[in-house]
Amino acid sequence: MGFLTVLKKMKQKEKEMRILMLGLDNAGKTTILKRFNGESINTISPTLGFNIKTLEHRGFKLNMWDVGGQKSLRSYWRNYFECTDGLIWVVDSADKRRLEDCKNELHVLLQEERLSGATLLIFANKQDLPGACAVEELRDILELEKIKTHHWKIVWCSAVTGENLLDGIDWLINDIAARIFTLD
Amino acid sequence: MGLEFKLLNAMRHGYYIRYSCVKKRDNITNKPLLQLESKVITPEDVLKLSKITETYLCDPDANIYDIDFTRFKIRDLESGAVLFEIAKPVTENIDDTTEKNMENEELIDPNSGRFVRYQFTPQFLKLKTVGATVEFTVGNRPVNRFRMIERHFFRDKLLKTFDFEFGFCIPFSRNTCEHIYEFPTLPVDLVNEMIASPFETRSDSFYFVDDCLIMHNKADYAYNGGMST
Repeated sequence: MGFLTVLKKMKQKEKEMRILMLGLDNAGKTTILKRFNGESINTISPTLGFNIKTLEHRGFKLNMWDVGGQKSLRSYWRNYFECTDGLIWVVDSADKRRLEDCKNELHVLLQEERLSGATLLIFANKQDLPGACAVEELRDILELEKIKTHHWKIVWCSAVTGENLLDGIDWLINDIAARIFTLD
Repeated sequence: MGLEFKLLNAMRHGYYIRYSCVKKRDNITNKPLLQLESKVITPEDVLKLSKITETYLCDPDANIYDIDFTRFKIRDLESGAVLFEIAKPVTENIDDTTEKNMENEELIDPNSGRFVRYQFTPQFLKLKTVGATVEFTVGNRPVNRFRMIERHFFRDKLLKTFDFEFGFCIPFSRNTCEHIYEFPTLPVDLVNEMIASPFETRSDSFYFVDDCLIMHNKADYAYNGGMST
């Protein structure tokens, strides 16, 4: 029995999933996390570290990690890759000037070996803002079709209105569950 | 945690009455347990404990990483209400409203801030889903494998164990962690006994870095707030 099998069996016991949320600063990661967990989003300041939520959702124990996206913090992201089952990449769809930067960071991340087993959900956030890039546009700009190494999906959402957050996260959970919990 | 905390949310919704940072309790000394004196305390050690410890299992200065808890918050997921929140004001602007009722000698008590007393109303024990948030800051060096183990007892009965590994913490970072959990369903008899026995519900919070104990905090709880005795 390999290490991975042991790990999968351990996770299976508690149906535990580790979800890591990354993206450029001001993409809306913390707002998504708070909104998804029914917490007030009135006082959110830049994350200078991490925010964790552990919760039960549909019978799964989710450990959700939101790590700050400022440039000075990105070199620390690697410390949070271990055992990640799901990666949520959050995009500020209205910040067109930084989409190139956003694309580069994402593709660098996907080369990371410790994330190779993770399902990828791309949240096209801030769709409530005028001038936000549509999902089809983002698919091209972020060169998502190039991704062959991960199960991925792009989902539009608005963390402020809460629209589509549940749909996106449920897709992520279903994909992880199908990969991890039905092996034996 | 300690006298520098400021109460942000209290006496709302009828769940919470008061909290205070109690001076060193007579039966809690700073002296390590004899049999543990020469030994590093590990997670395995504290997971084996069958009751609240009589002493702090490490010195206050074992916290060489300058990990500082800056906020505690409890919310009810069903109503969304924040039931309890205390936070340390940012150091630049400590104002006069900062808990005045603390005795001055706490300033020199090495155990000040390691003990908190909570007083809730009986309704608190009827909550179904609760979110408990801690916020902490980290000093100038990276922290590896930061882990929290919290054990809640009523007398010698274990009510709940939290065991969570934060993992790595970034130098100079400010981090939060919220555990959202179903309140354990307790038998009615036990609930009544807990209400009738203030401060016999207690918790030990142990914090480890690389499996070595660096902080130990205690709390006790009463659930008879608002009741005539």
